[in-house]
Amino acid sequence: MIADPHNDALPTKDAAAQEPMAGDLAVWAQDIHKTYRTSSVSTPVLGGVDLAIPAGQCAFLAGPSGSGKTTLLSILGCILSADSGTIRVLGHDLMRLDEDGRIAMRRNHIGFVFQRFHLIRGLTVLDNVCVPLTLRGVPMPQAQERARRLIEAVGLAEKVHAHPRSLSAGQCQRVAIARALVGEPKIILADEPTASLDAANGQEVMALFRKLTAEEGKTAVVVTHDQRIFPFADRVFHLENGHVVQTGQPNALVHV
Amino acid sequence: MWSLAIHTLIADRGKLLTALVGVVFSIVLVNVQGGLFIGLIRKAGLLVDQGQADVWVGHRQMHNVDFPRDIPRRWVHRIRTIPGVHRAEPYLVGFADMTLPSGGFEGVVVVGVDRASLLGNAWNLVEGRPDAILQPDGIILDECENQKLENPKIGELREVGGRRARVVAKSQGIMGFLVAPYIFTTYDRAADYLAKTPDMCSYFLVQLEPGARADEVCQAIRRVLPEVDAFPRDEYSRISIDFWMTRTGLGISFGAATLLGLLVGMIMVAQTLYALVLDRLGEFGTLKAIGATERQVYSVLLIQAFLMAVVGAIIGLVLVSGIQFFYSTPRAPIVVPWWLSLGSCVLVLVICLVSSWLPYHRIRKLDPMMVLQS
Repeated sequence: MIADPHNDALPTKDAAAQEPMAGDLAVWAQDIHKTYRTSSVSTPVLGGVDLAIPAGQCAFLAGPSGSGKTTLLSILGCILSADSGTIRVLGHDLMRLDEDGRIAMRRNHIGFVFQRFHLIRGLTVLDNVCVPLTLRGVPMPQAQERARRLIEAVGLAEKVHAHPRSLSAGQCQRVAIARALVGEPKIILADEPTASLDAANGQEVMALFRKLTAEEGKTAVVVTHDQRIFPFADRVFHLENGHVVQTGQPNALVHV
Repeated sequence: MWSLAIHTLIADRGKLLTALVGVVFSIVLVNVQGGLFIGLIRKAGLLVDQGQADVWVGHRQMHNVDFPRDIPRRWVHRIRTIPGVHRAEPYLVGFADMTLPSGGFEGVVVVGVDRASLLGNAWNLVEGRPDAILQPDGIILDECENQKLENPKIGELREVGGRRARVVAKSQGIMGFLVAPYIFTTYDRAADYLAKTPDMCSYFLVQLEPGARADEVCQAIRRVLPEVDAFPRDEYSRISIDFWMTRTGLGISFGAATLLGLLVGMIMVAQTLYALVLDRLGEFGTLKAIGATERQVYSVLLIQAFLMAVVGAIIGLVLVSGIQFFYSTPRAPIVVPWWLSLGSCVLVLVICLVSSWLPYHRIRKLDPMMVLQS
């Protein structure tokens, strides 16, 4: 277990932000609204989204482009703020966290996997995987030990000292998964993790992702268009025009 | 954060090299330009610095060692009576013409020294002996002025101020701030060359008793001889240098060129850091998305700026040493004092750290949402 040098309590606008969450839900959101505004245009993206994801489950956010999937993921990941609604992630009321609290939430409790991997070019695989621990101030030997174990787990033990430019897309995404897991976050958010991969690689990466998150009891929220990976989900939330129009197990959804 | 900063910096060697060129350029320019300036301006006090006198006494308001006013030679006896004075000798400095074998003339600065003590005589001789000026018509020239004086040989006869002069020794590196070469000879012969009566002189060179304080002796001299000024060696050297600095605008022109170099270097460093950041916005966005604080992101930039400053400064100083070794000559000496090197390094470090503010400003505005919008 990686020791978290930061206090688990997050900077908040008030103390009620860290009330324990009822039940066994990792994510609970109610009536989330979000509108993007420029000086002349307002574009509503989320129009009252409700969401409940039990701890340890893998939930997919699916739907057409512009349906609000990525915006919802960004809100759950403390990257964006919702305009209104109630959102609790791992017991933290995101609506009441201030900016420092949101940064601490991302650093200490959430792992991210991005569509384009977003690995740091100048760093080796090992160093890339160590980054989240470095940001937490974990000593390098301890960070590297944990990172090596995860790199082995994603099947890239022989690539520890390779740079991202020498890796295939599938290998890069495996590194990104290792990076997301290295800090032992309780929740992993993945944005289109298979969109940059071919079908076979996509299946492999998702299988690995699912295995590792399941083994470590993580909650995962995955945004995807790719229906071929739906079998990896415990639950799928189908969004259209900023609303969840269907929820259920992958094989039970009508339109998807 | 060090590892992150170092690795990402090294990863883009092209931009790193550009930034280093900027830093090296600044360091070399400041040190070489400053070294040339210091080497040049120090020539203005050369006679004072090397004259073996602890105190220089001359006419009131004396402001440049090469442009003295006459004072009565007999005053030397009153100076010799002042407590703390070990020795005081008259010294003559003035302008005359020397004939050249080609039939032309060259203006020279004639320096006359006391024949008994040879106080203030030429130094660093490469041919002949210091006391050779005691020989009939003996003068000492500097070999660096050979071209200007049409290659005078030892024993060769010339005319100075219409009087006969024989080259009896040669020094190396006695080149003043003026274009006129120095020639050293005895006091009486110098007075002859300068068409002056021997009862007038330019300065009294004073050597102090051990333990005597130069400033106290100077005050005592001024009390005894209100018509003269007396300065410790270092002070008169500085006064002579200030004469050229303040009356010619030399300091401003050299300073402006040096500042311009610094400015160019600073722009190169800032531009390169900015380009490095622009090139890696996605990576900085990723860092922010996965929980890097503003302080952590800025520390990456600061570390990179610090590393560029330190590595560039080291390379720059090595280059400066090489340039100094190969290109410093008595005519154009490159004198790089430690404080100039240290000052330039500190300045470049500050510039690099300040330069990192511009890209940081760009990163501050960076929305981590960008990594989810690919």
